[in-house]
Amino acid sequence: MKRVLSLFFIAALGVLLLYVVASMPPMGDPQTPTATHVIPRYLERAEEETHTENVITGVILNYRGYDTMGEVTVIFCALAAVLAVLGRERRGRIRGFVDRSPVPSSTIVRTMVRFMVPFIILFSVYTILHGEISPGGGFQGGAIIGGSMIIFTTVFGLYESSRRIPQKVRAPLEGSAVIVFFLVGALGLVGGGNFLTYAWPHAARGLQPALVTWLTVLVEVGIGLGGAMVLISILFAMIREEEEIALTA
Amino acid sequence: METALNLTFIVLLVATALMAVWARDLLAAVIIFSVYSLIMALMWQRLQAPDLALTEAAVGAGVTTVLFVVTVFKTRRREEEE
Repeated sequence: MKRVLSLFFIAALGVLLLYVVASMPPMGDPQTPTATHVIPRYLERAEEETHTENVITGVILNYRGYDTMGEVTVIFCALAAVLAVLGRERRGRIRGFVDRSPVPSSTIVRTMVRFMVPFIILFSVYTILHGEISPGGGFQGGAIIGGSMIIFTTVFGLYESSRRIPQKVRAPLEGSAVIVFFLVGALGLVGGGNFLTYAWPHAARGLQPALVTWLTVLVEVGIGLGGAMVLISILFAMIREEEEIALTA
Repeated sequence: METALNLTFIVLLVATALMAVWARDLLAAVIIFSVYSLIMALMWQRLQAPDLALTEAAVGAGVTTVLFVVTVFKTRRREEEE
């Protein structure tokens, strides 16, 4: 009975969703309200207004800066919740969780990871700093840094990994996304403009584009570092209990 | 050609989603789910959203997969029989 009921509910939900999708305008239709109001403004004026060549970065960090600041805060809150439940790893008592698995990682894997991780981090630095011109940016680059350190941790273990990025360095950087975003936004107020517009009306005219661009890049770097540290901290917090479980088992 | 490629991707997306739900081995489910994310990233690229494609590939296929794998190792790998 329960199964039939849930099947019926899911089928009804699916029909409803399909119905809604069918009534949506076709993709790329130039006649829809979004395509006739907001998008032309973004595409035509983004470069002169936000001074970023990648319109998406301009939209995310400038036009909708408030949204992005909220997102960054949500990511930080997620880390705070994970740490509140699991707790931080303690230095000195931690071991890698893959190290004690029945099949240790082979020499080939270890060598390849040791060889690849610096290049992955280099690529993520490129993604962060170039996000203002090409696809990418703080979130993507931060995730790539986090991913590279996660690969390193799964192969070499938590002990080695937390020696590379000690807690002392990680903990202050975790909030960097929120702090840098807020500070740069507030700098706009100091310069006589609005919060999060990056524009300083009183600054010299020729200085304006460079100023906006560099402040945007600064926010990208803050988001990248903060995101990476949040991901690494979550992974470490999840892994570190392993020892206690393994000891009692 | 375009439509055929899109259709292939969509069929693969639905197939991987169903396989991830039906898989009894949770580790297999996680890996299938990362394949789903990878196809989704290709889909974003086809929809001309390279920023989203990058995010999906890094977060969806990379980071969440590892977090799920850690969770599977810390709990039980097999789903219990009813």
